[in-house]
Amino acid sequence: MKRLSFFIGILLMAFMIQSCQQQKQSHLVLLPVKEDPTISFRILFTVGSQNDPAGKEGLAALTASLLTKEATQKHSYEQILELLYPMAASVSSQVDKEMTVIYGRTHKDNLNDYYSLLKEILLEPKFDEADFKRVKDDFLNYVQRTIRYAQDEELGKEVLSEFIFEGTPYEHLEEGHVSSLESITLNDVKQFYKEHYTRANLLIGLGGGFDDSFARQVEQDFQVLPVGKKETPAVKVKPIDGMQVKIVEKDANATAISFGYPIDVLRGSRDFYALAIATSWLGEHRNAASHLYQVIREARGLNYGDYAYIEHFPRGYARQFPPPNVARHHQIFQIWIRPVPNDARLFAFRAALRELQKIVDNGLSKKDFELTRQFLKNYILHYAPTTMMKLGYALDDKFYGITEGHWKLYRKMLDELTVDDVNAAIRKYWQYQNIKAVFITNEAEELKSALVNNTPSLITYRSSKPAAILAEDREIAKYPLHVAPEHVSIVKVDKVFQ
Amino acid sequence: MRIIVMQLCFLFVLASVMWAGSAPEQFFPYPHQKYTLPNGLKVIMIPIQGSGLVAYYSVVRTGSRDEWEPGKSGFAHFFEHMMFRGTKKYPSEKYNELVTKMGADANAYTTDDYTCYYMVVPGENLEQVIDLESDRFQNLAYEESAFRTEAGAVYGEYRKNRTSPWSIAEEEMMNLAFTRHTYKHTTIGFEADIRNMPNMYDYSKSFFNRYYRPDNVVLLVVGDFNVNQTKKWIAQYYGNWKKGYTPPKIKPEPPQGKERQKVVHYPGRTLPIIWIAYKGAAFNPTEKMVVSAYLLGNLAFGENSEIYKKLVIREQKVQFISPEFGFNRDPKLYNIYTMVKDENDIPYVMSEIDKTVKAFQTNLVDNQQLENIKKRLRYSFLMNLDTPDHIASRLARIVALTGDIEAVNQLYSTMDKITPEDIRAAAQQFLQKKKRTVITVKGEK
Repeated sequence: MKRLSFFIGILLMAFMIQSCQQQKQSHLVLLPVKEDPTISFRILFTVGSQNDPAGKEGLAALTASLLTKEATQKHSYEQILELLYPMAASVSSQVDKEMTVIYGRTHKDNLNDYYSLLKEILLEPKFDEADFKRVKDDFLNYVQRTIRYAQDEELGKEVLSEFIFEGTPYEHLEEGHVSSLESITLNDVKQFYKEHYTRANLLIGLGGGFDDSFARQVEQDFQVLPVGKKETPAVKVKPIDGMQVKIVEKDANATAISFGYPIDVLRGSRDFYALAIATSWLGEHRNAASHLYQVIREARGLNYGDYAYIEHFPRGYARQFPPPNVARHHQIFQIWIRPVPNDARLFAFRAALRELQKIVDNGLSKKDFELTRQFLKNYILHYAPTTMMKLGYALDDKFYGITEGHWKLYRKMLDELTVDDVNAAIRKYWQYQNIKAVFITNEAEELKSALVNNTPSLITYRSSKPAAILAEDREIAKYPLHVAPEHVSIVKVDKVFQ
Repeated sequence: MRIIVMQLCFLFVLASVMWAGSAPEQFFPYPHQKYTLPNGLKVIMIPIQGSGLVAYYSVVRTGSRDEWEPGKSGFAHFFEHMMFRGTKKYPSEKYNELVTKMGADANAYTTDDYTCYYMVVPGENLEQVIDLESDRFQNLAYEESAFRTEAGAVYGEYRKNRTSPWSIAEEEMMNLAFTRHTYKHTTIGFEADIRNMPNMYDYSKSFFNRYYRPDNVVLLVVGDFNVNQTKKWIAQYYGNWKKGYTPPKIKPEPPQGKERQKVVHYPGRTLPIIWIAYKGAAFNPTEKMVVSAYLLGNLAFGENSEIYKKLVIREQKVQFISPEFGFNRDPKLYNIYTMVKDENDIPYVMSEIDKTVKAFQTNLVDNQQLENIKKRLRYSFLMNLDTPDHIASRLARIVALTGDIEAVNQLYSTMDKITPEDIRAAAQQFLQKKKRTVITVKGEK
């Protein structure tokens, strides 16, 4: 049975690849899985928040969200909810810097009814004024209240992203700022839809138990979109000079910290996979065995976890694995320190920075390399277990131009790469001097003073600690910080994303 | 490649069982086996050959509900953290190394009614997983210093959650809605108790001895494995585990005779939150009123309800409204949550909720609407049984509450028989004003 299934898998895989090749010139990315009783849709447009006009930041995200939460020419939003309800189906949107994806899944029993609605939602939107007001209100609430006050960790990451990409089309929060959102009109949305929901930007992802004729029909249906043209704004990220810190001041009982810098390495390149091994060792997302977690949480109990990334990973607080279709041409290397007690904030920052320096200066050991490689060979199986997730990654492969597929390439690279390759990639892409850091905390002036004066930051514990930990603490506490006063800015939380 | 193969086999089974009509006797689509070891350890196996991966879930039927002693709230969750601190055979460094080598997706979580430890691994690692899991469940050993350090991490988890107005609302709700039952505290516990956790080393051992016993644990094994071989391993590795579960001394909650209300201040900005909680029933999949209440929540306050369309879409008075009429071991709460856009509209929104309740208590729900919700729940459950992990995680709560997965079949079978009259009866029985607690959260201006 196992063997038989394996061969079925190979045959299907071959079919999949063939299908994609046959459709090379088309908008289709197909992942047929005949036995799957469901069909997954990911309708992707290569447009995102980088295409927001100046002063209208948030427009791409608002447009996508409105499409999935409003009336069509044929049905009110209430009717759409009513029709989707018994199918246990939905239509959702996700917008990142360069991508917008509208996605959903249905059982094959309901395929015709579901697709008919999905098509209407994308091709015949009503742009209803009342629906627009409702969706815009939701966005304003998120920016004015939720992210500022209720999600310190996400706030830290998004402020860091704006800090690193400042002056570029990547700069702003995808959901926009308060003032830009307030200025967006329904006409802006209509115009954005007209300009960017075009065949030039379109990729139609279908996965699961559909047949060829259905795929052809979908492609035919989407021909009604205008041809359009691809607009890719230039993103020139400024290099960072020294250590620059932004402190977001709020009445916080704990401090969320994120820091990082741009890196010029993307999925698909050999260096990416080499760096992915190092990143996994340093701080695999929510993994207790990774190094930063061991140093900051396991040995010292300072917080809930500490992780490292070389690719965008939105809403990591709520996910074990990243979503697909947040592919970007510009990525940052980032370390995320989950909230620590305010009196340990500088110590935790120094601890993470010192570990970064150690791996940059000393590289990854052969033993750690082998263990991490072994880990990843199986662990990457968990990233895309379903048709919907696989389809998302197949679309990303198109974006990055990975013809053999990211996961296949990843496994191949895990076999091929050596510890020397990994250490060469670390030396090439990682450093610890030119960094931007964000603290979400209280008593900002006190932190600024400690940063610029390089004040030692020894912490005390409520429990006894091994001598080795205490000795290391003394080193961490005086780890040198070179922060010029003009490189520290303080912003009140209610001014962030204003 | 391998993962593609894995999914195919699951889907093949699902493809042959999907339906939109009534639930048959055996709604749960996968063949399974269950048995109990002499020491009381229950084992449920759902083998799906050729799938490549195995989800191995250890469901401890103890959650924050079992924290009955004053000053010990949050201990089930804290203990979940301690379970990663190693044994003599596998100290935490060795444990981490072995889990890392397997590339396991491994973690744990704690709820009000149970604590769940899971590992999802390639099938060839199953014996290693059974060895590791059985060892820590029987032989957990940690020093007081490690215990104190972990208390810091738990406090860190509390702090990270604390920024949300919903965390504050939940604390207040549980504290007000319950007077005697242990549902009075949230799963993470009272802050004072969390602060005091480093001093509870001795108590932690008694907690382990009381609750981490085979007669309080269910193993759920789903995916690609050999049943007979796995049975042998389970007998070999868990056979010597001594039974001895000591039930918690939980005081039943007295009936609530009067509405309780509280306005809570949130030290940040938020739209006003209204959280209304009616006293619910203990989960019983064969009890019509329990299953009717589950449907009632969705019918009256779900995304397709009249009040949702009115307040969210047409009038735009609230950002959302949603129900949570869940399943619990003891009677807990049937919840309605909403966020009001303008504080001045709070009385109006409350009156609309009351009108909805009254309508469901008086009128019969449209039969088609009732059938639609049943259909939705069946599709939703089945469509999400597409990986070993998804299957195990979907079953964990029901297994924890009942010790079995038969409850799934019973639940959907009972659901099939629910009539509009049952829905009305459930509204009359549960949605009584005197049995509810209302928390309103208001933020800074």
